[in-house]
Amino acid sequence: MIGELSETRYWMYLLLLPSLLLITAVVLYPTIYGIQMSFREMRLNRPDLGTGFVGLKHYQRMLNDPIFWLSLRNTAVWVTFAIILEFLIGLIAALALHRNLPGSRIFAVMILLPFFLPNVVAGHMWSLMLDPRLGVINDLLLKAGLIDSYRAWFADPATAMAAAILVEAWKSFPFFTLLILAGLKGIPTDLYKAASIDGAGPVAQLRLITLPMIKTIIAAAVILRVIGLVNSPDLLLVLTSGGPGRSTMVLSLFAFQTAYRDFNFGYASALSVVMFILLMIFAWIYIRLSRINQE
Amino acid sequence: MPRSRLWDLLTYAVLVILSAVCILPILWTLLTSLKYEADIVTREMIYWPTRITFDHYVTLWNQSNYPVLVVNSLVVTTVTVAICLVTGTVASYAFARFRFPGRMPLMMGYLVVRMFPAVMMIIPLFVVMRQVGLLDSRVGLAIAYTSFLLPLFVWMMKGFFDAAPKELESAARIDGSTRLGAMVRIVMPIARNGVLATCIFVAIAAWNEFLFALMLTTSQGSRTWPVGLQLMVGEFQLPWGMLAAGGIISILPVIVLFALIQRAMVAGIAAGAVKG
Repeated sequence: MIGELSETRYWMYLLLLPSLLLITAVVLYPTIYGIQMSFREMRLNRPDLGTGFVGLKHYQRMLNDPIFWLSLRNTAVWVTFAIILEFLIGLIAALALHRNLPGSRIFAVMILLPFFLPNVVAGHMWSLMLDPRLGVINDLLLKAGLIDSYRAWFADPATAMAAAILVEAWKSFPFFTLLILAGLKGIPTDLYKAASIDGAGPVAQLRLITLPMIKTIIAAAVILRVIGLVNSPDLLLVLTSGGPGRSTMVLSLFAFQTAYRDFNFGYASALSVVMFILLMIFAWIYIRLSRINQE
Repeated sequence: MPRSRLWDLLTYAVLVILSAVCILPILWTLLTSLKYEADIVTREMIYWPTRITFDHYVTLWNQSNYPVLVVNSLVVTTVTVAICLVTGTVASYAFARFRFPGRMPLMMGYLVVRMFPAVMMIIPLFVVMRQVGLLDSRVGLAIAYTSFLLPLFVWMMKGFFDAAPKELESAARIDGSTRLGAMVRIVMPIARNGVLATCIFVAIAAWNEFLFALMLTTSQGSRTWPVGLQLMVGEFQLPWGMLAAGGIISILPVIVLFALIQRAMVAGIAAGAVKG
């Protein structure tokens, strides 16, 4: 019976139907609901306030909320430095793996592994290693003479963000490695042969052949990673909870805590809507600048 | 020394250093989980313990609710993969094999959905799930996971279907097989490795997920291990040894699965991300 159905010209739509229904139910409907919620009062711990329409109240509050502006600034720092580190390490790792020397496969497994580890465990691994009393990193740095006493990396506002960015870079640089490696496989080897005949050294080859050839992939990887970095507060939630003194509070974490801890769903929704819009604007500008749509 | 030798040496140096940076934190955690608490909390750092113990694992397994958490995670992961497999495979097959009005916009739609902030989804999902009675349930959490894992599944799986040769399918059709028959009997076996890699990727993501689980589960009955572990740290000041043991237990299946199917999975992720 379904066999016959598969011969009709609506077959592909039937194949798509289950997933479309699901996406509508778990993505589209909640999104619209969430946007609508950002214009309403909704505090789970204050049912007496009701869920009435409050217009732009939450958005106005945001403009005057110093935590919002601080989180916005922190998000910019967090994303910028994490992306730069992840891209550079990811590129170096990909170039090294791409040379396909004996043993590359086992190196690839080890280098790509952190990306597949849970944030909760990655966070605690590094909390353990960076612990102010028992941390092995403190001990190593002390023995190497780089610090003169154990430091509380995550408790000091001066170092908390930097430490968190390093952990994030450790966890996610393999994403760049993975995508760049796929891009490198697509470059015809003739190009390098021709270039070396013309006398181009490795650095010139990287600049003139490799990077231009994988430009599109790099652009795609950057966009996907920026989205990931802006959207997911998991790692910061485990490492610092935004502290000390909100020095690592980013927008996604602020929005999540507004909902999870303060039960202020209306304000939290407004924060995430703004976050989403800013992300869209960024993606649009970035795609225009990098011109990935022209290729 | 010839120049290529020098580059080989440099390449190995880079690979060794990066591998060490990636692996050492995991090994340190493993080592910590096997140390006696007295060897963890010391005045002088003990790098290589002279004695080891499995006490942390035994205590965690017997005296906390960790087994329950792991079972909950297994259920949520299985249901998530099942939903993605059933709805996602046919959708990606449709995208890969047919040209039809609305194909591009729909595919783009599946891509854009991936950009939606988790927080933006979680808050309304909480309200909606509460209304329909799926809050704090393992099936509800699995359904919530499909919001970001199904689009991922579809894009990754489409890449594998694209790579599968079409000729056998055409031959089967000429022999009188229906489209459904050709899909089930010819294409699926060819794309088997791709399906497996995609399922494992989704399974790892569901197994690891923390934020949705934190918001959408509230009780023992449905809480997954990342949330449980995090709460144990907060509530009971979980000793480092037990925390490390919990971490090792939880990442063991991830490491094994990843090592087994690394190649196909990596290729699939790259294809899914790049074509978009």
